[in-house]
Amino acid sequence: MFEAFSLPFFQRGLFEILLLAVPCGLVGSWVVLRGLAFHSHAVGTATFPGLVLADGLGFAAALGAIGAAAAFTLLSVLIARSRRTGTDSVTALALAACLAGGVILASDVFNSGANVDTLLFGSLLAIDPGDLRLAAVVALIALGGSLLVGHHWLARGFDPGAARGLRSDSSLFDAALLAVVAITVVATLSAVGALLVSTLVVVPAATARLFTRRVLTLVCASVALVAVEGTFGLWLSVQTNAPPGATIAVTSGVAFGVALLARSRAVKRALRPLAMAAAVIALALLGTGCGTRSSGGDGPKVVATTTQVGDFVSEVGGEKVDLTTILKPNTDPHEYEPRPSDVQAVADADIIFRSGGHLDDWTDDLIKDSGSDATVVDLSQDLPVRLFGTGDHEHQGEDQTDDGEEFDPHWWQDPVNARFASARIESVLAAANPEEADYYRGRSRRFDNKITDLTDRTRTCIRRVPVGERKIVTDHDAFGYFTNRFGIETVGTVIPALTTEAQPSAGDLADLEKTIRSENVKAIFPEESVSPALSEALAKDTSASSDYSLYGDTLGPEGTPGESWLGSMKSNVNSIVAGMSGGRVTCFGGSGE
Amino acid sequence: MIDWLADPLAHGFTVRALIEISLLGLVSGAVGCWVVLFGISYSAESLAHGMFPGLVGAALLGLPLLVGGAAGIILAGLLIGLVGRLSGDSADTAIAVVVTSLFGLGVLLALSPESPPGIQALLFGDPLGVTEGQLIATALIGAAVLVVLRTGHDRFLAVGFDDAPGRIRGLSPALIQTLLLVLVAVTVLVGVQALGNLLVAAILVGPAAAARLLSSRMKSMILLSAGIAIFSGVAGLYLSFHARVAAGAAIVACLLAAYLLATLIARARTGITRMPPIRKEPADERASQLV
Repeated sequence: MFEAFSLPFFQRGLFEILLLAVPCGLVGSWVVLRGLAFHSHAVGTATFPGLVLADGLGFAAALGAIGAAAAFTLLSVLIARSRRTGTDSVTALALAACLAGGVILASDVFNSGANVDTLLFGSLLAIDPGDLRLAAVVALIALGGSLLVGHHWLARGFDPGAARGLRSDSSLFDAALLAVVAITVVATLSAVGALLVSTLVVVPAATARLFTRRVLTLVCASVALVAVEGTFGLWLSVQTNAPPGATIAVTSGVAFGVALLARSRAVKRALRPLAMAAAVIALALLGTGCGTRSSGGDGPKVVATTTQVGDFVSEVGGEKVDLTTILKPNTDPHEYEPRPSDVQAVADADIIFRSGGHLDDWTDDLIKDSGSDATVVDLSQDLPVRLFGTGDHEHQGEDQTDDGEEFDPHWWQDPVNARFASARIESVLAAANPEEADYYRGRSRRFDNKITDLTDRTRTCIRRVPVGERKIVTDHDAFGYFTNRFGIETVGTVIPALTTEAQPSAGDLADLEKTIRSENVKAIFPEESVSPALSEALAKDTSASSDYSLYGDTLGPEGTPGESWLGSMKSNVNSIVAGMSGGRVTCFGGSGE
Repeated sequence: MIDWLADPLAHGFTVRALIEISLLGLVSGAVGCWVVLFGISYSAESLAHGMFPGLVGAALLGLPLLVGGAAGIILAGLLIGLVGRLSGDSADTAIAVVVTSLFGLGVLLALSPESPPGIQALLFGDPLGVTEGQLIATALIGAAVLVVLRTGHDRFLAVGFDDAPGRIRGLSPALIQTLLLVLVAVTVLVGVQALGNLLVAAILVGPAAAARLLSSRMKSMILLSAGIAIFSGVAGLYLSFHARVAAGAAIVACLLAAYLLATLIARARTGITRMPPIRKEPADERASQLV
């Protein structure tokens, strides 16, 4: 039951949460006493423009986050000087300003990739020494600040009039408090992510606040609560194989609810057993999290990062690999949050196949964090076809592969690359398990034949669409490899950048609409797993169709046509050909076949 | 000039966006004044995340996402009211506790393989992707929200200004506050679905904060706020069309510009006439309650 404590990644997460308990408990007390909950939440979310800038100009993401948090705090202080606007409205306005700036930077200036969102999704399972150092420094700052000027913060909060007498009458003290809250929040980002910051910074202190009116007791109880709830949540997440951030959020939320009911006199007698029962049921529900299944074959232990790579390995390795695929079908790779079993699988792996590029750049953290000594094979290296830049092909041919910044990572959409990846997987598996080399070779050959067959049939089928009609509009540009291989022209994309925060401008959309009309494009293809609202609106106005969706970043769940790579390609070809021809041409009988 | 104004009207999506932003500007201009007065801007920004478990639940049960979202967000509004009342702490703390707990629950529920990918984003719209159905929904729900606000105007006013005689007339401030939270929740739901989260928070708070600087009477503040919201929304869409700036962000920029303009006007005015008396701010009130 407690073997989790011996896992290295667990220990690092535990160390981080215990370090964070100090600033979170301290700052949380101030946050609750001074009504700064909104500020603490907003600082975390407002780091977005900093992350976009850091990515676009190429400096450290943490630096960008701290810069944006500082800018946000400064903005709050400046707006707050106009006394007639309440503090909560000030926070909302400053947050809106930061986020709007971030959206404009991401959509109109940098064409940001989805990696700008990663810092907004932190995890206690991917803590590196830098995070630990930041937490330690922030703990010192929070402690020092509270000891040195805590009495001013207290005085100004309780009674601004009396504060004047205590020489606390300077808004500098308030600004300092906002700044300390801001850096505490930045330190918690890598542990729980932007949307759950309050879990550590507000909820434990609010729980403690229910029972005490004394500041010292409140602070000590808050620090202890963060530590206990964090440790328990982390342990529970390993037991149930759920993401730790969300587990801690629910744990501390339940603790608050129980405390609230236990305190309230009216419900004391009648409802207390009920509240306890509710808490037990809630925790039991948590226990129903589902595990990452390995294929259970005998052979080398193999981890694949994305669904497509997992499918390639299973096609080649068959029953002679013990395969674990980290991303589940239908999971957006950009929103991946590690689960305990993933880290464990990586730690135990002999070979790790990754897709490469920004789609699975979290793999580095996982490998580092798990202490794995597996052979890591990045399938995106040495591919026969490598495209650069998302959407605009002006970077094509420039050798910017090393930093991976400009590389379009959707390489598997080109069957030639798929064949190459299959051969590479075969040779890696054969080297690791020479006794089964023939088995792997046989399966790889068969898979290769299927790919060649698919390619030929696709080519024949696309030839039935007149050359002038081979034009599509997609919502993200995830299909560059496919259109490149089969001579299809991507006339435009609806969403300008890959981050989910990106938005098109009305002017660009109007131009796209004109292009769709003038080029007589018959279909706009929303991607499975992306909100189709914009594509549908555009389709409606141009009488193009938006009924055909494509498998982009992820394969479909079991039982759908896109559950395997071959199936997803067939389904995409069917959709694209039917869409381009206005439904006249179909390729493969039945979508799954 | 006429071309400049007429060009965007040639496209269906801009026309729908203009109608939606005007409808929502009217409603959130009015709701926003109460949000600002009650000091619950946090709820305008965060309630959308609180509907997450409702969304996932609906997806798992095979119900329409909108039904789940509505149930989740209204539950969140009620819970915030309840927690605020039971704990006696500031509304902000209650919002933080409820929203993060619900969001965490949603993340755990979404681990189920049956839940569709990016479910949170599925219900978040973009101003340029508004559908006719959403226009009708905004009009109907907006009208209902405005009717409730109009009917309860005096009660909201009494509670918002902590008016003792109002309380004696047998009004429960907690009930009024919870009702307001539910109204905000409904507005946020409609707005988020049509326009996206960032825009909804800004249009609820920005115009109302600006109007508050320029007006000291609640009724004129509401009218002014709705006017600012609609004007900034339309201006933002034209900016997005002609200057090619992301649509939602362009509207937010115009809303913020309106607020800045209002602070300048308010400052210039104090030079000439006396500044109207400063209202007791909810934040100060809370702090003094703590002692």
